[in-house]
Amino acid sequence: MTELRRSTPRFKWGIFAVHAALILACVINIYPLLRIISVSLRPGNRLISTDLALIPDGATLLSYVSVIKNTNFLLWLWNSLIITVATSLIGVILASTAGYAFSRFRFPGNKLGLTLLLGTQMIPAGMLLLPLFLMVMKLGLINTYLGMVIAYSVSSLPFSIWILKGYYDTVPRSLEEAAMVDGTTQFGAFYRIVLPLSTPALAIAFLFNFTAAWNEYLVARVILSNSAKYTWTLGLFELQGQFITQWGMFAAGSVLITIPVLMVFLYSSKWLVSGLTLGSVKG
Amino acid sequence: MGIVKKYRALFLLLAASLAGVACLRPPGQKNDANTLVVWEQEDALVAPFLDSILNEFKKQPGNENLSIQRVHYHTEDLRQQFQTASIAGSPPDIIIGPPDMAGVFAVSGFILPLDGLFDFSQYSKQALGPVTMDGKIWGVPTSVGNHLMLLYNKKLAPQAPQSTEELFKVCPGLVRGKNLSYCLAYDMNEPYWLIPWLTAFGGWPLDGNNPTLDTPAMLAAVKFYLELRYDRKLVPMECDYNCMDSLFKEEKVAFIINGDWALADYRSRMGDNLGAARIPKMSSTGRWPSPMVGGKDMMFSSKLSGAKLETAKKLAVFFTSDENQLRQARELYRIPSVSRLAAAPELQRDALLKGSIEQMQVASPMPMLTELRAIWDSGRHYLGGITQKKMTPEDGLRRMQKDCEGKIQEMMR
Amino acid sequence: MNSQVLLSLLEVLQMVGFVAFVTLWIEAYLYVHFNFPKKSWFLPAVLSVVPFAVLLLVLVAVGPVITVGQAVNIYLYSLLAEALLSSFFRYKGDKKLALPYMLIMPGFVGLALLIAYPLVFEVYLAFHDLKLTTLKVWSETGYLPFVNFEHFYDVFTKSPLSEVSFWQLLGRTLWWTVVNVFFHVAGGLALALLLNNEIRLRGLYRTLLVIPWAMPCVVAVLAMRGEFHSEYGFINIMIGRLTDAFPMLAQLGMHKVQWLSQHAFLTCTIINVWLGIPFMMVVILGGLQSIPKSYYEAASIDGASRFQKFRHVTLPLLRPVLAPAVTLGTVWTFNNINVIYLVTGQSGGTEEADILVSALYKAAFTFNRFSYSAAFALVIFVLLAVISLMWLKFSKGTESAYD
Repeated sequence: MTELRRSTPRFKWGIFAVHAALILACVINIYPLLRIISVSLRPGNRLISTDLALIPDGATLLSYVSVIKNTNFLLWLWNSLIITVATSLIGVILASTAGYAFSRFRFPGNKLGLTLLLGTQMIPAGMLLLPLFLMVMKLGLINTYLGMVIAYSVSSLPFSIWILKGYYDTVPRSLEEAAMVDGTTQFGAFYRIVLPLSTPALAIAFLFNFTAAWNEYLVARVILSNSAKYTWTLGLFELQGQFITQWGMFAAGSVLITIPVLMVFLYSSKWLVSGLTLGSVKG
Repeated sequence: MGIVKKYRALFLLLAASLAGVACLRPPGQKNDANTLVVWEQEDALVAPFLDSILNEFKKQPGNENLSIQRVHYHTEDLRQQFQTASIAGSPPDIIIGPPDMAGVFAVSGFILPLDGLFDFSQYSKQALGPVTMDGKIWGVPTSVGNHLMLLYNKKLAPQAPQSTEELFKVCPGLVRGKNLSYCLAYDMNEPYWLIPWLTAFGGWPLDGNNPTLDTPAMLAAVKFYLELRYDRKLVPMECDYNCMDSLFKEEKVAFIINGDWALADYRSRMGDNLGAARIPKMSSTGRWPSPMVGGKDMMFSSKLSGAKLETAKKLAVFFTSDENQLRQARELYRIPSVSRLAAAPELQRDALLKGSIEQMQVASPMPMLTELRAIWDSGRHYLGGITQKKMTPEDGLRRMQKDCEGKIQEMMR
Repeated sequence: MNSQVLLSLLEVLQMVGFVAFVTLWIEAYLYVHFNFPKKSWFLPAVLSVVPFAVLLLVLVAVGPVITVGQAVNIYLYSLLAEALLSSFFRYKGDKKLALPYMLIMPGFVGLALLIAYPLVFEVYLAFHDLKLTTLKVWSETGYLPFVNFEHFYDVFTKSPLSEVSFWQLLGRTLWWTVVNVFFHVAGGLALALLLNNEIRLRGLYRTLLVIPWAMPCVVAVLAMRGEFHSEYGFINIMIGRLTDAFPMLAQLGMHKVQWLSQHAFLTCTIINVWLGIPFMMVVILGGLQSIPKSYYEAASIDGASRFQKFRHVTLPLLRPVLAPAVTLGTVWTFNNINVIYLVTGQSGGTEEADILVSALYKAAFTFNRFSYSAAFALVIFVLLAVISLMWLKFSKGTESAYD
């Protein structure tokens, strides 16, 4: 995709205004993150303080040390990583094929399928927890990665399919037709031509699956009860008690787990904009 | 039929992969006879203590093959998960938690009544009251507590006030002299904190199973709240638990009303500067406030039987042995549920524990009733409305009572 | 730690094997049924193989705990189902459809399992009476009293919380959805237009601006909530300092506000708007960048002003991108519980900020009203479906996505 941008503002002050507005927006967007960092550096175990300084008096990294040393933080991270990566891969594979079918074929149930996908987003998700638990229990998937991965990859499937279908629609059919004239099967054309061209959308679907699974709490709470299988969300919330919460450690943990997501975002940022195509711009 | 041969390979592949995958089945949850599953909802600071008790228990003779799996949940999660797991037929063997969740479990039949299984005569009435319902005992108290008391920072206020009049007298000077934000901090929207004041006016939120929220005592207690907040400005306006906790830790208030769960945390931060005393006497009525008292209890799943039940019983006895109860008191500042231990010189020597025990001994056991949940919920909502002056006290209490009755009816009908 | 890592790797292998196997099974089934239904060997072959395969599949999924009777049942039922299915394929099957169905089926089987079953379960619950006092009997015998539409009647007549009625909640939910989606789109559009200029540090800005989206939602909301605290939040502290520095502002009516208790709904809205803008920004930016530059050049030649270009080129061309995003955004916002739940607390407290879903959560989990909340959830679902259908019809919202 070629980068096409609008013309540059003509006047110098225009650029300044744009920069000023963007800087203001950035500050608003990252300020809470900075505050969490500040809580994690705060000595003693306090969430709230009248102190607005981002580096508090007597700042210390003790919370970081204790969250890594005194808890199973690394194990939680490892579990989260396994579940998240597996979820993202499976989710993207399932969505990329299904999206292709919706984009290129007319088959009975085509529109119905797409509507149903939208419909799944309308169910108040938490209400499915009790039946979900009973089912997972019957299938013996309590405390397994498999149970988590199935639940996660399926639940972000509808959105991924929409994204990928939207993107495939922008890929000209003539490319596949040419390949099929040369004797490739339709699936071969999809695999060799359409998929590589759709890297941005695949990256977005991956990213979306990744963040959704990485940050999930409710389903994990239901499926996992063995602390050896805990994901970081469950682990970190263990620091939150009925009355006493280890705010310092909680914040330090939060900062540490935000880093991988930020890195994934940073890495995929070149596709982020071009890949999120929910519908095509016909131009 | 030649074609069948042609595609025979496909079917063979199918069958072979099925057989292969049969051993790919991921391992699910283990729940064999030698594993005791314990669910709890303790704060993170308590986990090491619990683990050490469980480990000690495993070292007891006869427990060589025993393994214990401790699982932590938030209080709310524990309640829901225990229910769900019980429905699914695979509950944990033991839960350790506050007695207020026992009511729900007892009504739905998910925990065992324990009469006859233990010698309950050794436990104090404050410990047993909260786990007694319909004349049956539903849990083994591992500690008695969760009661509110007045905690103070001796650096700011060397003495605890004995009465509300005294409190009103020292406060203005303290705030000005020590440059405090407020004098006293606590969460005014949380009905649990209203109970001691309510009792100081001679009230109680329940009469039998019926809520009594629209009473003269309630009105007096609520009006006292408004006085504290608006007329005397002694207590901060919008202050939840984290806020009051931070204020006290930052030495921006001299007094806090908080439960025994906070003692260990404050003690480690403030050392001997932390004092504990009874909540001051209500000068206008001459009565001392009596907070609710509960504690922590060990409850047994109704699925528990046979050898496992015996092991669970042994664990409960082990947990409430003199040695472990005193150790718990030393490490967590929790009062032993065994009544004779409260007077142990070892505990009486510690001024903090002594203050906490004094308050506990005049506290009223929290009733083990599911109705209490409705009271907390309605209370929280309308108390918020009244203290923010969105409604008059009279109107608010009338609506609180009505709402609470409705909720109980919904729940129990 | 090390042994745990090894064990978990082993489990990952098992998991991959399991998923691959199930997928393979589905694909093989579809392949055979679409391609060979007219062959003479088809019926006997599938009828003899498939029921056994299903039985094995169940054994693999559930473990060897089923009784012989159950096994026979499964076999017979799958035999019957297979007979019906294979004759359907025999007369109606179409070879050309093999590929699309093979492509979508693995995902849809997962969805059916994860969503259809729980949904059916909820419908069952809504018409029966599961609550504290019937729990035990139900878990042991499976018996629940049938109560017809009683719970649905309650949904509309009784408050799920204290006093706020269903209709008030519905009104607030609609207002919440409209306001949030509007500001998400407006804010996203503004930022996207700013970012679409050719300026330095664009990449950096873009990265920083998506942080609210990238941050774990729970952490982000808790942090924002802290900023609204009446004494310790950034906002009130700043207001305090401003009015101290410029007493004039105080005279104009600027003063500290008890955000969390007096203006809970406003606070939740602000936080949710903050959270949702980055997603819209990225969607819109994608749309902006795919508008060919030549359109603007043509407009310039016609002497169009910047605003005219925006009005007549940018907006119409963004429509196909925006419409599905708005549809999804509406559904998500309507069902968004995180912000309100985390800001106003689990139960009790203020109910002035609650929308339908958050009221549902509080009602369901605090009072064990399983059946009532199942009915409530179904009502929400139907409402949302009706609203979305009307919106789709009215706006032709997802036309581009259906093409």
